[in-house]
Amino acid sequence: MPTVVLLDSSLSMTRPVSVEGSEEFQRKNLAVHGLTMLFEHMATNYRLEFTSLVAFSSLWELLVPFSRDYNTLQEALNNLEDYDKTCLEAALQGVSNVVQQEWGTSCPCQVVLVTDGALGIGRGSLRHSLQTVKQRVDDKKFPLPFPFPSKLYVMCIANAEELQATDSMDNLEQLINLNGGEGQIYTMEGPLCLKSVQSMFGKLIDQAYSPFHAVLRCGNLTSDVQVFPRPEPVTIDEEVDPIPKTVQTDLEIVGFIEIGDISSPPVLSRHLVLPIAVSKEGDEIGTGATDDTEEETSTNQMAGKSPNFCVLLHGSLKVEGMVALVQLGPDWFGMLYSQADSKKKSNLMMSLFDPGSEPLPWLGRMSQLGPASDAAENPYGEDDSKSPFPIQPKHKRSYAQNVTVWIKASGLQTDVQKILRNAKKLPEKTQTFYKELNRLRKAALAFGFWELLKSVAELLERECTLLPDSAHPDAAFQLSHAAQQLKLASSGDSKYAAFEQNITPMLTDFSGGGGADRI
Amino acid sequence: MRIFSVSHKTAFVVDHCPYMAESSRQLIECDMLTKSRSQGVIPLAPVSKSLWTCAIECSMEYCRILYDVYPTKKLVNYIVSDSEVHILNSWKQENQNTQELMTALAAVGPPNPRQDPECCSVLHGLVAAVESLCKITEYQHESRTTLMDTADRVANRGRIICLTNAKSDTHVRMLEDCVLETIQEQNKRAAGSDRLMPIQQCELVLVHIYPQGEETLVSDRQKKELSSVLSSEVHSVRAGRYLAGKLNVLVQQHFDLASTTITNIPMKVRLTEEQHANTSANYDVELLHHRDAHIEFIKSGDLHMAGSTSRDSGLKETVTLKWCTPRTNSVELHYCTGAYRISPVDVNSRPSSCLTNFLLNGRSVLLEQPRKSGSKVISHMLSSHGGEIFLHVLNSTRSTLEDPPSISEGCGGRVTDYRITDFGEFMRENRLTPFPESMVDAACRTPVERAKFQLERHTRYWPMIISQTTIFNMQAVVPLANLIVKDTLTDEDVLTCQKTVYNLVDMERKSDPLPISTAGSRGKGPKRDEQYRIMWNELETLVKAHVGTSERHQRVLDCISACRSKPPEEEERKKRGRKREDKEDKTEKNGKDTEEKGWTTDSERLKGVMEREKDEQSECEIIKDSPDSPEPLNKKPRLATEEQQPPEKSKGPVSLLTLWTNRITQANSRKHQEFAGRLSSVNSKAELYQHLKEENGMDVHENGKATR
Repeated sequence: MPTVVLLDSSLSMTRPVSVEGSEEFQRKNLAVHGLTMLFEHMATNYRLEFTSLVAFSSLWELLVPFSRDYNTLQEALNNLEDYDKTCLEAALQGVSNVVQQEWGTSCPCQVVLVTDGALGIGRGSLRHSLQTVKQRVDDKKFPLPFPFPSKLYVMCIANAEELQATDSMDNLEQLINLNGGEGQIYTMEGPLCLKSVQSMFGKLIDQAYSPFHAVLRCGNLTSDVQVFPRPEPVTIDEEVDPIPKTVQTDLEIVGFIEIGDISSPPVLSRHLVLPIAVSKEGDEIGTGATDDTEEETSTNQMAGKSPNFCVLLHGSLKVEGMVALVQLGPDWFGMLYSQADSKKKSNLMMSLFDPGSEPLPWLGRMSQLGPASDAAENPYGEDDSKSPFPIQPKHKRSYAQNVTVWIKASGLQTDVQKILRNAKKLPEKTQTFYKELNRLRKAALAFGFWELLKSVAELLERECTLLPDSAHPDAAFQLSHAAQQLKLASSGDSKYAAFEQNITPMLTDFSGGGGADRI
Repeated sequence: MRIFSVSHKTAFVVDHCPYMAESSRQLIECDMLTKSRSQGVIPLAPVSKSLWTCAIECSMEYCRILYDVYPTKKLVNYIVSDSEVHILNSWKQENQNTQELMTALAAVGPPNPRQDPECCSVLHGLVAAVESLCKITEYQHESRTTLMDTADRVANRGRIICLTNAKSDTHVRMLEDCVLETIQEQNKRAAGSDRLMPIQQCELVLVHIYPQGEETLVSDRQKKELSSVLSSEVHSVRAGRYLAGKLNVLVQQHFDLASTTITNIPMKVRLTEEQHANTSANYDVELLHHRDAHIEFIKSGDLHMAGSTSRDSGLKETVTLKWCTPRTNSVELHYCTGAYRISPVDVNSRPSSCLTNFLLNGRSVLLEQPRKSGSKVISHMLSSHGGEIFLHVLNSTRSTLEDPPSISEGCGGRVTDYRITDFGEFMRENRLTPFPESMVDAACRTPVERAKFQLERHTRYWPMIISQTTIFNMQAVVPLANLIVKDTLTDEDVLTCQKTVYNLVDMERKSDPLPISTAGSRGKGPKRDEQYRIMWNELETLVKAHVGTSERHQRVLDCISACRSKPPEEEERKKRGRKREDKEDKTEKNGKDTEEKGWTTDSERLKGVMEREKDEQSECEIIKDSPDSPEPLNKKPRLATEEQQPPEKSKGPVSLLTLWTNRITQANSRKHQEFAGRLSSVNSKAELYQHLKEENGMDVHENGKATR
């Protein structure tokens, strides 16, 4: 989930904070301090996150495009300049553009807006933007809600009382509401100082940037893993089940399936599964402060050399071309597979299916998947030539069952022509002739289109009179028999117009000892 | 998405009164072959469909598309109304298919023009439709049952589509009033019943059908709220293709569908008999599917750029995607963000059926966004699964997971002797298969629970790397290893296991070499009898892990205990002696990394295994039981200081050169795999053609164990 940091660099951010102590801070310094803390956290615990930095006043500027290089981000932060007034709407539009250009509209993003809560005055102020939000024409729409799934975190370098004294708080709350309620406003508690800004950013980190740790399990084989980006809670049907489902920290493999059988399934999200080493105290190697780098590298090396189940699983999945089905929670599954980033690099990846008992129609109900060895007969065949997947649905779809559609005249004409074409080739085509005839008869009966039955009967009769002298004598018999049967059906008499009934070829002396099978 | 939205229940009410027998006056020429015939034949008069036929075939087309795209959870109740009500199916899922409806419609037949028009009315049908919407569906029932206390979250909404021929706007209003009144009445009734639910929201869609060439007596009207529960809209449509177009638009609106036209489909065409050339041409096929398949276009506002307007149905838009070669293969796992069932608009046309048959035969097609300039973007894929065709949405934007650290850089990434092939085999043995709904075993476990249970059994003792194990590198142990993990053993299985054990005893008697890993060690490695002791211990560990499963599993263990080389007392004595040796051995070899301890002693090895397996406690117990077990973990802590001792300290002073050489040799030995010959060599002399002597076909330890 990439992050955009949107930093207010208007003049009001340079207002000094009144402190008794010796040093004098500007609000901007506090903002930079908080963001430094965030960047440090990401660099150590969340380093695969892409972050970009946008500064705004009346204009906005992309200072650092999406990057994992937190030094560059920090440097840009340190060299921040001061500009004029706050104009949030344009900046949010900028964020929207920046994200869409880089990630499209399906990738969820987090926007961290850092501001002092002085949201401008007059035209271009947030108040003005919100007042006119309903009077927009199509091309000047308010940028919220963002077209991509998003969370908007507002970090106020101000305390709640200060914001409530003006309408700033109301305006910010309205902003979150406009984003579909996705987001949160953080304010500082107590006096504005380094400590309170730290605690505010600490809350954001806990909320949005805490790494997701889990145990990957395959029977008794286990591995501690970090799942990145962390899986977010999902709501399937807000009406029937409004409580969002979360991925549990125990990821249990239930079995294995060939890639060809799982067949590019649709997924909610994709995540890297990175094995992590957990030392005996339960502290994780590599997440602590970086003051003891030497020791850390040596422990990392140790971790690299002790066998890890993730690596074994990854290797075998890759070699065998299989995926592991993994249970993420009650009635929620995902798959683990090897994903190659390049020729050399590959990784263990986890994709989440839609929560529910049957996320993939071609696998059927997940709870009904059991070990193949329990089946009476090996469903994969003794030589691996078969597969129990995909599961066939109970009813065929229209395109797989030769349905009759006469909405366009051409559909009807084609069906009539097929009958006539076969009629000319009687008796060789007796079977196809009656098959087509019965298809037409059934549809005509269902649609209440008796007139068509009469018409086709007449066509067949005429066909009979036009038969050349060389024609097989059976042809004439079959044609007049078929015509007569259609006429009877067109009367609607239940004896002849039953839907399930078929017209069967007439048994003649020429048809070779009753060779004309019933259709 | 909400499952119990208005589109969960659709009641079709089709007017079957005498006036519906009237001709639509759209003429269809059936007699098309005349031009190739002998002259002088008078062509037959064209046929014309009745209003009834038009209404039926268009409603069937609506259902066909609906069932193609939503085979479940979107239900239709089909009602025909004349002097009485004919309800052709129920809300039951098993009744939801067009064949069943067609059969029922054939039984109803066309309207009888001679029936008394006074007693016929579409009102009967509308009343029945409201009653039917109050009836609970199996999905609503199931949801209410599972939600228990919050059963009121299950909503009851529905839609009535009425196909009729109305007399006037006043007549239409009368129909609407009737529906409104019936809803109020039925809701009161439903409030007191378990199998009925009051209607919370109902959409009435009145379609007035009139013959071509006539003026309509009913005016179109947009959707209007008649009450908090009922909204109504009126469509006045000419019979024939206009009606078909209207219902096609409606089905798209009602079920959130969108249209995609696949363009540039290469198709070999066999033209009619007169033109007998095989030529290839490019065709277009229009498909309908859930509109979320276009979500990326809709959100980014690219819909107009990507698409063009549909050719025949005027109102709606279609997105054009280009057929793309080369095709994809089935073993590729695409990053797919959605898969939506499709239905061809023109299901019987040759291009449509060519495309669908191509896909149904198991091939997939990638689709590309047509762009005026720039690189090509593959955004979708058509693929069939079990006779159903899906439009897959492929991710075509930059991935947030690009350039991740390779797995070889992380934990366990530098270990090179994982049992990859063995685990692959393990995965094949633990493949899943669907079981019928009723299949629960004696312990009432669902198949998926049984699958987890099987994985648990199969992994009770499963060393991850080759140098951690002896028995899994031995062909001779395979029969036992495969059987012992089973939930139940037959007497025959026990016999096979016993035979395996006897076979091992035989090997020991003949002093056959074992594939003990000596990677990294210099010199001979453990002696032959020591090798066998390691092997027997490991085998016991494996079997003990399963001894609780059944009495027959116990018998296998008994067999091993009975057949093992040394009686326990002697073993005990020997062991005490050996421990001293061990210590020396250990100090000689320490300083190496943990995973290489496997070769040092079996006790070290088992300890390593234990550490890795989380289930430490049970493991310890198992091993404690063994007469030959190493001492419990806590008694013999692996000291960190011990690790850092210089190698071979116990053997007195060593020169710096020796230290250095040892270090380099060690480092080098890690970088390559030792020659199989040198591994089993005695005094650096390897015996050639060993395999000729080995009757058992035992495999010399080798990565991957090709002969297994």
